[in-house]
Amino acid sequence: MHKDVKNRTPILSMRNVSVNFPVKGGLPFIKKGVIQAVSDVSLTIKRGETFGIVGESGCGKTTLGNAMIGMVRPTSGEVIFNGKNLYALSREEFKTTRRAMQMIFQDPFSSLNPRFNVYQIISEPMFIRGEDDDETMKERVVELLELVGLSADDLYRYPSDFSGGQRQRLGIARSIILNPSFLVCDEPVSALDVSIHAQILNLLNTIQQQMKLTYVFISHNLAVVKNMCDSMAVMYLGKIMESGSSERIFKNPLHPYTQALLSVVLDTVVEKERELVVLKGDIPSPINPPSGCRFWQRCPQAMQGCKTIPPESIEIEEDHFVACHLVNGFPDVELPSNYDQLVAEKPTRTHSMH
Amino acid sequence: MKQVLKLRNLKVIFPTNYGIIRAVESVDLDIHERECVALVGESGCGKSVTSQSVMRLIDSPPAITRVDTLEFDGRDIKDYTPKQMQEIRGKEMGMIFQDALTSLNPVMTCGKQIDEMYIRHQGLSKEEAREHTVKALELVGLPEPRKRANSFPHELSGGMRQRVLLAMAFACLPKLLIADEPTTALDVTIQAQVLSMLRNMQRGCGTALLLVTHDLSVVSAIADTVYVMYAGKIVEKAPVRELFSTPHHPYTVGLMSAVPRLSDTERVFTQIPGTVPHPTQKPSGCYFHPRCQYATAECKKEMPPLKTIDSNREVRCHHPLSIRGVSHA
Amino acid sequence: MKKKLPIHHGMARGIEKRLKNTGLFIKRIWSHKQGKIGLTMVGFLVVVAIFAPYIAPFNPYDVAERTTKGLPPSSKHLLGTTINTGQDIFSMLVYGTRVSLIVGVTSGICIAIVGSILGVAAGYIGGLVDSLVMRIVDIMLVIPTLPLVIVLTNVLGRDYWTIILIFVALGWTGLARTIRSLVLVLKNSNYVKAAELAGASRWHIMIRHILPGTSHLLIMSTALSSAGIMVAEAGLSFLGLGDPTAISWGKMLAEAQRGGALLFGAWWWILTPGIGIFLAVFSFMRLGIVMEEIMNPRMQRSSGVYKVFKNLNSAYVEEVFNSMDDYAKIGVTPAFEHGKGEVTHETGLKA
Repeated sequence: MHKDVKNRTPILSMRNVSVNFPVKGGLPFIKKGVIQAVSDVSLTIKRGETFGIVGESGCGKTTLGNAMIGMVRPTSGEVIFNGKNLYALSREEFKTTRRAMQMIFQDPFSSLNPRFNVYQIISEPMFIRGEDDDETMKERVVELLELVGLSADDLYRYPSDFSGGQRQRLGIARSIILNPSFLVCDEPVSALDVSIHAQILNLLNTIQQQMKLTYVFISHNLAVVKNMCDSMAVMYLGKIMESGSSERIFKNPLHPYTQALLSVVLDTVVEKERELVVLKGDIPSPINPPSGCRFWQRCPQAMQGCKTIPPESIEIEEDHFVACHLVNGFPDVELPSNYDQLVAEKPTRTHSMH
Repeated sequence: MKQVLKLRNLKVIFPTNYGIIRAVESVDLDIHERECVALVGESGCGKSVTSQSVMRLIDSPPAITRVDTLEFDGRDIKDYTPKQMQEIRGKEMGMIFQDALTSLNPVMTCGKQIDEMYIRHQGLSKEEAREHTVKALELVGLPEPRKRANSFPHELSGGMRQRVLLAMAFACLPKLLIADEPTTALDVTIQAQVLSMLRNMQRGCGTALLLVTHDLSVVSAIADTVYVMYAGKIVEKAPVRELFSTPHHPYTVGLMSAVPRLSDTERVFTQIPGTVPHPTQKPSGCYFHPRCQYATAECKKEMPPLKTIDSNREVRCHHPLSIRGVSHA
Repeated sequence: MKKKLPIHHGMARGIEKRLKNTGLFIKRIWSHKQGKIGLTMVGFLVVVAIFAPYIAPFNPYDVAERTTKGLPPSSKHLLGTTINTGQDIFSMLVYGTRVSLIVGVTSGICIAIVGSILGVAAGYIGGLVDSLVMRIVDIMLVIPTLPLVIVLTNVLGRDYWTIILIFVALGWTGLARTIRSLVLVLKNSNYVKAAELAGASRWHIMIRHILPGTSHLLIMSTALSSAGIMVAEAGLSFLGLGDPTAISWGKMLAEAQRGGALLFGAWWWILTPGIGIFLAVFSFMRLGIVMEEIMNPRMQRSSGVYKVFKNLNSAYVEEVFNSMDDYAKIGVTPAFEHGKGEVTHETGLKA
């Protein structure tokens, strides 16, 4: 089931990574604001595991995935891949290192160039990396086509001849042709029909075993993440709310946001009317994230201090980290001078033990 | 309970250069007051065409439609003129589609669009309509409703837009609301909001709801009765809890098994082999037989009729299953 | 890793498909209502231009073949002769096709080339290149074209290749802008990102992904700008800025006016070049518009459907509808075998 990854060596770790994008105003050189896509994220991904990143739109999961594979330079912080600081490498080394990293995209319709045939699409990475010989490339492409469940007959067909699920297989074949060791799957099944999900996910698992890959699996669907991922991180507005072994997290979801996400997922037993945890309000924009805990505005259990004090990620049990005041208790911080006044304003808890 | 919609024997085809697309093949639907009926199926199964046919929005080129009975609130609307249909639509029959951005007029403020519903269908004055609009927006949970009424659709987020659509749809207290994938494009927590809003409003206003979706979790959240469609035909009909606990049709079983769930313990996901048939080339006999693990020679030869089981369930299968729960072993 | 042009890869098949596509494209234009007109007319003009010496009864360039001046249309001179030089007007019309088409199409193609290169570069590379190209575009839009053309023709000479050069130099800006917008969209496609991820150089992406993505725009623009250039060329020649040695419709108009055609009522002399210009521009524009409609995916669907409806066999349609009924509904009870059904109920399936 879940792999025991505790003792494996890390393949990628992120230390205090933040990615900010400037919002350009009308006049050039004048910034209107900053999109804080990813804020101070630290995580470690072990070799051979599947690491899930869960969250909704605006949470920064795609940006995080891009930062991991060298597509987006972090504004601060480090990305360490195989022991090397990715963004501090020379251009040559950067290119060589990135050869081991690839990505699968969400939308099977826009991720393949409609003017290229299957052979051209899948062999393109090889071609880019200098491969010349038509025969070698053809052989390899056929090998991969059969691996993903298509056939050599499809070699010269065009993407428009294939269904969504088949196109996603083509995308998968393309991403593994260079034998990467690290693959980011950005919502690979979200755009497909539900009955096709299983096929693609099974394929991804098979390939992972065969090629000894490490996956980062980005999704908003917790049920998929539960079964695919060994470790996971739940993100909201650029910060990690809860992370660790997915087994632990699903057995004992502690963060209110994780709990809300879980309540919306389908479960077998439909005996009583399902209680949906309905969060109030909309997902805020990452341009001006709320102060303190970024989730406090929608949190059904928000407390007074959540507004001002950002929670720290604390290891609650082995391999299970939560960033929540409700769970961890408030840290020992210097109380503001008008603390008593704040407390007197609203009769809520200001301190609690988990 | 009063029956709001009675549809019998709907057939829709689209003649094309590549052959005749058999979009909807003999579909019956019954919807009662306050009931939420879900029409479930994958893309291409004909559910959207069905829901649009109920509203008589399918134009005759490019389609050819036949129907035996189409009764709305006791009235036969099968032969209504477009003008008569226009009277009904919006007022007694509401609709919300998936993409709110294209359903709303981008150059009119949201408030004005809802006002129009009141002005046109209920004959209110502009001021009265605006009061009703603000109240409606408040009801759907839009913060600062009076201010939001003056926003344009593109200024609002996806969830808010969907709520504006809800307010517009419920404005005239329709007898039937048709929602085609209302939450598919939304984030998961926003989906929960919209669904719960939908359910509350539906129960509160006494509106019947026809929900068209491919997402089983949405169905389990708010539906009362479920119709499962495959390749243009209804293959199963059941009350929601019974559908989930004891599905009878192999496709329903497959669909539910294919959806990863929290209670899964295995890493291998059950898949339905093969693909949905092309709408111009459907298999002989039962349309599902090439993908069905229980198929027999009979299944290949003859299309099973839709049979009634246990008074409120229907299955279209020669060998319907009755499995206690859905095992994932 | 040696650098090479990213072209050959899978190219043989690529060319095959491209030719097939071109053939299909032409067929599609043909089946469009107005496509027939556009295609025929352009084809006709091209044929006339190529075979001008065989079509025209006289060679207007040959001084020896000039005859009596100012003749009205007759069986020998279908459109009469000019008042000032005695050239056969019909032959001038035919030969004029060459000038118009050559100038128009060549300019159109060159504008497409220059505009696409600069547009793609500006759009994809962005930054300084983008700013530079866009600033040049803005500047050129401000400069009044006619005075510039007058100055340039005086400085650079008045043969047609110079004229073409001037047209291209002034005309690439609009296309570059349109292409740039398209490129900005294409840049964000996932397949471009996938190629970047695999380590593709900018060059590779521009040539293999971006440029082909603009091809439909380029073809359409070639047709339309050719039309525009033909008018511009006619105008230039009319003003006397064109090549004085060549026979062009604009020049015919100028000479007709100067030679007093109106005064003498020689309407055939004035009308002829006018019709020539009109026909050439009209046909190219039609072609361009038809191409645009075809490439706009929404337009495709509607035309096909109505055709299908007209040719529908109603008996077949009835058969299709009838086949959708369940047997029970038409009164035929199916012969059921007692199968694996475990459901027991009143309808007869036994466990």
